[in-house]
Amino acid sequence: VHSKEAGSSRRQQFRIPMATITIKILFFASAREAAGGITSTNLELDADGADTQVLRTKLASLYPKLAPLVQDEENLTLALNEEYVDMGEVKQLSSGDTVALIPPISGG
Amino acid sequence: MADSSTIEPLSDGTQQLPSSKQNGTNNYLIKVSDALPSHHEIQKFLTASNCGAISTFTGITRDNFAGKKVTSLSYEGYTPMAVKELTNLCCDAQKKYPNVARMVAVHILGDCPVGEASVVVGSSSPHRREAIACTEYLIDELKGRVPIWKKEIYEGDEQSVWKENVEWKDGRRRRVMVKEESS
Repeated sequence: VHSKEAGSSRRQQFRIPMATITIKILFFASAREAAGGITSTNLELDADGADTQVLRTKLASLYPKLAPLVQDEENLTLALNEEYVDMGEVKQLSSGDTVALIPPISGG
Repeated sequence: MADSSTIEPLSDGTQQLPSSKQNGTNNYLIKVSDALPSHHEIQKFLTASNCGAISTFTGITRDNFAGKKVTSLSYEGYTPMAVKELTNLCCDAQKKYPNVARMVAVHILGDCPVGEASVVVGSSSPHRREAIACTEYLIDELKGRVPIWKKEIYEGDEQSVWKENVEWKDGRRRRVMVKEESS
């Protein structure tokens, strides 16, 4: 027979692990070079509060040479699932999303 | 898409025709790959029996920049998004130039030595004004929107440089301003 209190303390021992999401990152041009030549990688983020701002900070810590560029919104744009994230916009991220690092373009 | 009951004639008197395929992407030749379609293929695609005008623009690798001798340009692209943006571009151009029948927007990836073509855009319309204006719009917008990057490679020991289009920064600022106005 378990008392209610004993039951609660047992419940507290089993913490629900924080959910994570997995997203794909694509590196282009000068961003690719700054990150050491990597073209793509899968990244795990805490699901809670996963957004493009958090992602920039995480990439800066994972790739120190990329840090100045990835934290500079003027010079490094993000594309979420093939759509540009406008300056000043912060987008929420979900598992399966693809984020591309877009330095200033020069086609044509 | 223009409502056929309210279409005004153009300033030169040309009657605007309601287009049944304004968003039809089979009217647009879009390609991003390691080889451009041939000149013949491009002309053939743009030729339409109701069009008297074809206007194309070709971008070619130039041999110099800021006093440095350029040997080649090297292009990298986010291909699926580049194709998507080129398609959106053509649809926007269609809204602006409803009489344009066909469009071409093709870009090379990889090395492009001096004298070689890296990009071709073009359009066809019944009369020349729209085709010329549409082609100009296509290249200007391409430079501001399409995720392709070029590296300029120089003769000798000069460090190669990733170029940046001024149209990109201008476009970004414009998009932010429009958002602020509407909020």
